Amino acid sequence: MFARRRFAVLKNLLEYVGIEPGRLHFSWISSAEAEKFQKTVAAVTEDVKALGPAQHMIKDIRKVA
Amino acid sequence: MSENAEFSPRIAAFLCNWCSYGAADLAGVSRLQYPPNIQVIRIPCTGRMSPKFILAAFRKGVDGVWVSG
Amino acid sequence: MADIAGDEGDFTVKVVTHPRYVDTSKCIACGACTPKCPAKVSNDYNEGLDKRKAIYVRYAQAVPLKYGIDPAKCIKLTKGKCGNCEKQCPTGAVNYEDTETTRDIQVGSVIISAGFKPFDPSAYVQYSYSKYKNVVTALEMERILAASGPWMGHLVRPSDEKEPKKIAWLQCVGSRDVNTCDHPYCSSVCCMYAIKEAAIAKEHSHSGLDAAIFFMDMRTFGKDFEKYYEKAKTSGVRFIRSRIHTITEQPDKSLMIEYATEDGQAKTEVFDMVVLSHGLEVAKSSIELANKLGIELKSTQFVKTTSFAPVSSNRPGVYVCGALAGPKDIPLSVVEASAAACAAAGKLSSARGTLAQTKEVPQAVDVRGEVPKVGVFVCSCGINIASMVDVKAVVDYAKTLPFVEFVENNLFSCSQDTQDKMAQTIKEKGLNRVVVAACTPRTHEPLFQETLQAAGLNKYLFDMANIRNQDSWVHAAEPEKATEKAKDLVRMAVAKVALLQPLNEVKLSVNPAAMVIGGGVAGMNAALELAGQGFTTHLVERDAQLGGNARLLRITAQGEEVQPYLDGLAKKVMDNPLITTHLATSLKDVEGFVGNFKTTLAGPAGETVVEHGGAIIAIGGQEYQPSEYMYGQDPRVMTHLQIDAAMMNGELDAKKVNSAVFIQCVGSREPERPYCSKVCCTHSVESALHLKEHNPDCQVVIIYRDMRTFAERELLYKEARAKGVLFVRYDVNQKPVVKKDGDKLTVTVRDHILGRDLLIDADLVGLASAIVSHKNTELAQMFKVPLDEDGWFLEAHQKLRPVDFATDGVFMAGLAHYPKPLEEAVAQALAAVSRAVTVLSSAEMSLSGTVAFIDQRKCVGCGVCWTVCPYQAITQDDKGLAVVNEALCKGCGTCVASCRSGAPNLRGFTTQDVMAQIEAML
Repeated sequence: MFARRRFAVLKNLLEYVGIEPGRLHFSWISSAEAEKFQKTVAAVTEDVKALGPAQHMIKDIRKVA
Repeated sequence: MSENAEFSPRIAAFLCNWCSYGAADLAGVSRLQYPPNIQVIRIPCTGRMSPKFILAAFRKGVDGVWVSG
Repeated sequence: MADIAGDEGDFTVKVVTHPRYVDTSKCIACGACTPKCPAKVSNDYNEGLDKRKAIYVRYAQAVPLKYGIDPAKCIKLTKGKCGNCEKQCPTGAVNYEDTETTRDIQVGSVIISAGFKPFDPSAYVQYSYSKYKNVVTALEMERILAASGPWMGHLVRPSDEKEPKKIAWLQCVGSRDVNTCDHPYCSSVCCMYAIKEAAIAKEHSHSGLDAAIFFMDMRTFGKDFEKYYEKAKTSGVRFIRSRIHTITEQPDKSLMIEYATEDGQAKTEVFDMVVLSHGLEVAKSSIELANKLGIELKSTQFVKTTSFAPVSSNRPGVYVCGALAGPKDIPLSVVEASAAACAAAGKLSSARGTLAQTKEVPQAVDVRGEVPKVGVFVCSCGINIASMVDVKAVVDYAKTLPFVEFVENNLFSCSQDTQDKMAQTIKEKGLNRVVVAACTPRTHEPLFQETLQAAGLNKYLFDMANIRNQDSWVHAAEPEKATEKAKDLVRMAVAKVALLQPLNEVKLSVNPAAMVIGGGVAGMNAALELAGQGFTTHLVERDAQLGGNARLLRITAQGEEVQPYLDGLAKKVMDNPLITTHLATSLKDVEGFVGNFKTTLAGPAGETVVEHGGAIIAIGGQEYQPSEYMYGQDPRVMTHLQIDAAMMNGELDAKKVNSAVFIQCVGSREPERPYCSKVCCTHSVESALHLKEHNPDCQVVIIYRDMRTFAERELLYKEARAKGVLFVRYDVNQKPVVKKDGDKLTVTVRDHILGRDLLIDADLVGLASAIVSHKNTELAQMFKVPLDEDGWFLEAHQKLRPVDFATDGVFMAGLAHYPKPLEEAVAQALAAVSRAVTVLSSAEMSLSGTVAFIDQRKCVGCGVCWTVCPYQAITQDDKGLAVVNEALCKGCGTCVASCRSGAPNLRGFTTQDVMAQIEAML
């Protein structure tokens, strides 16, 4: 519950610092849903692949943690 | 051909031990094949997932982050 | 076991140990003996599909992993020559002089679980099994598809070792067949395993395998089985309703099958391979043993038990479980195993713990302040990892990582001898952190943690790299990338483990009282067994009386009358001083956790709070109220339970019914309820037989989709046919129609054999109405346990933990889990008690060390953490700062992620630990 709310905010923040929304994915998969897992991995990989290598963050933000 | 065709992204996957991590194990048992681009970090629950982990992963240089509960 | 002397409570069991010719205390399973053994013999583990040696290990994961000699095949033992293995053995473990030993063991109860023998079709000419190489049994097919099988899981046929493009499965080989093998019963498991094999074979196939299953009735009656069947149909497995009469081999060793379709057309089809779905039978040796021990068998040769005591043999103190007492699948066998343990322990409960020895765990060495010395153990898992991942490269890579002191590759890291060696290595090399790169921590972490403890290390100084389930198995086509990924995973695990600190486990007292929710057959049996083992038990029933659905049942499938049993059961419950029965009462709230629940009950006398250490959910199910087939519009249309009740109270006089029609699958196997209700086919047959018994001239028609009279219920089906009950199959797309014409009730159904509509006048229309769940989400949420899509309680593992929940201390039994016959509900009740007693019988239990803690120097008392904690584990202390109750904390880490000032942290998953993994990721 809390996690879900937290990440909605984070996505906006990331977009603001230049991380495309397509680089961050959330999903909910139960331990019995192996096929959903497989499909989600494939979909996430495809989405990120389409965006190409990440350019931002690596140098821009030094300290966040 | 675009350079993306050759590009193999690195994706940090934060998986909940009880849900998605179990699904990943079961995918193995069922021999379901998927691309090897994800690097899994097991977390006890998505509640444990701090935004700073996501930021740290991007800062480290991953091309994508996937959080799954 | 050779014999049992004495009586219940005081048996002397004679046990014969056959010579192994290898001293297990000396054998190190190095395997040096096997290559030099000149005797090549058929490998029985792989069903004779390949060869093994006379000195051998039966299979790679054998426990203990020790060699043995097959005396019938060993050249030294049979001819006195050779002796190679003795020369090769580095430890002198081979002993050709080994002899049989006999010893007596004193016990109070005995459980016999001798299992079944697969039916051997070789003597039966119509299956051509001995004649044609590409006709295999289902068990041979299992081995062909297995990674540890003769062809390492590659789908090939025996004649030419080429991949088959078309495979046929033939059902009911050695089952439902009195003409050739005298097995009138259904073997229960073959429909499901045939579908499973077809699905797996399709996965293993490179060319889109054409799989066809030839069957009479598709019996997918278990939990989620019907969904599996539907999925197989969607994935292209063909299901052909026909029994095969002739198989002929073609010049290319393919097989031509001749069969008749339902409407009588003769057809032929050629397959590359034929799999015989052979049934289960009792081994001759088991029959002899039973006769010797005075254990009664049924006509089917399975051990006789009753529906009310499903794991008790006729000999007091001797219990049975598994397929020896009737054909059954793994989940039910596991349930019966726990049930037999419960029954066997019940009468011995006063002696519990008197022979137990406490495991000595060495005092853990304090490693705080030491420089991390990491040991990395890379598992090959036979070939499961090693065939895809370059294990040696991973080992070499691990050696280069910071703090790594020792790296080793093991064939099976989980085997007992490797475990012992690992503990030895940890001590010798002074390792203070351990990484095992192998399978998944979800199954194997506890095992390796025990090894750490045995080596004197705190068990939390450990992590696993999942290079099998999440690497080798899922990247089979990309071995190089899989190897790189394995290195990444090891690097991340090493980075994390170097930071880990020893953790303490909180000890909790356990309240030795139980709560059973639901006063039906399952609930009452559970309560009585708990009380019988000495535990205070609270039985909560929503209704004003005990009994549940069974109040409306007439007889069991074995013909036992239910009502006298139920009355006796209820009386025993009410009379038992250890059982407090709360009638007309429901649960309002549940607080606490395993060992210490606090449940608020709302009943006629208001609210009461009951404290208990464990709970069994047995809330049952209910009959579906049909909206179809004129139900509710004509009193002659009745459900099963209504018919039973009317027969018992005399409202329905069987002598006066001249024409009865039963319609099956009313509300079951439908899109909104995609499951089989398991009991209805048998129930209709029982009612039909009852009608025939009282009025032999009564015309009884059962309209069905598949007759699912599984296991020995098939005998009832057979009897009904012999007595003239008519069975007409209908298609789900062409359902029967019930109409009222004046005062006449008629049923119209399309007969597929005749190809025309049948019109039947009926005095009675029986609807085999589905069993539906209560979908009790409130109760599920109170105990924090899950329900599945259909509202059944979801077990921790469908095969291996069938009555447990993932939540500790909560168990289930009866219809709450899934529709089932009475004897299975009783078995589950006993099983749930057995599982609950594992909690209740210990005075205290250890909780996980992975709990949250608060750095109060950083805490400002803002209250976010205790608001977000889903387990109410954080409270405010007198200074207004947060404190964690470690007994309630489940280690989810929500507090850590939510705190603005970074005061909470989660032991074992600290922010630093996760950050180290992220840092090591690339």
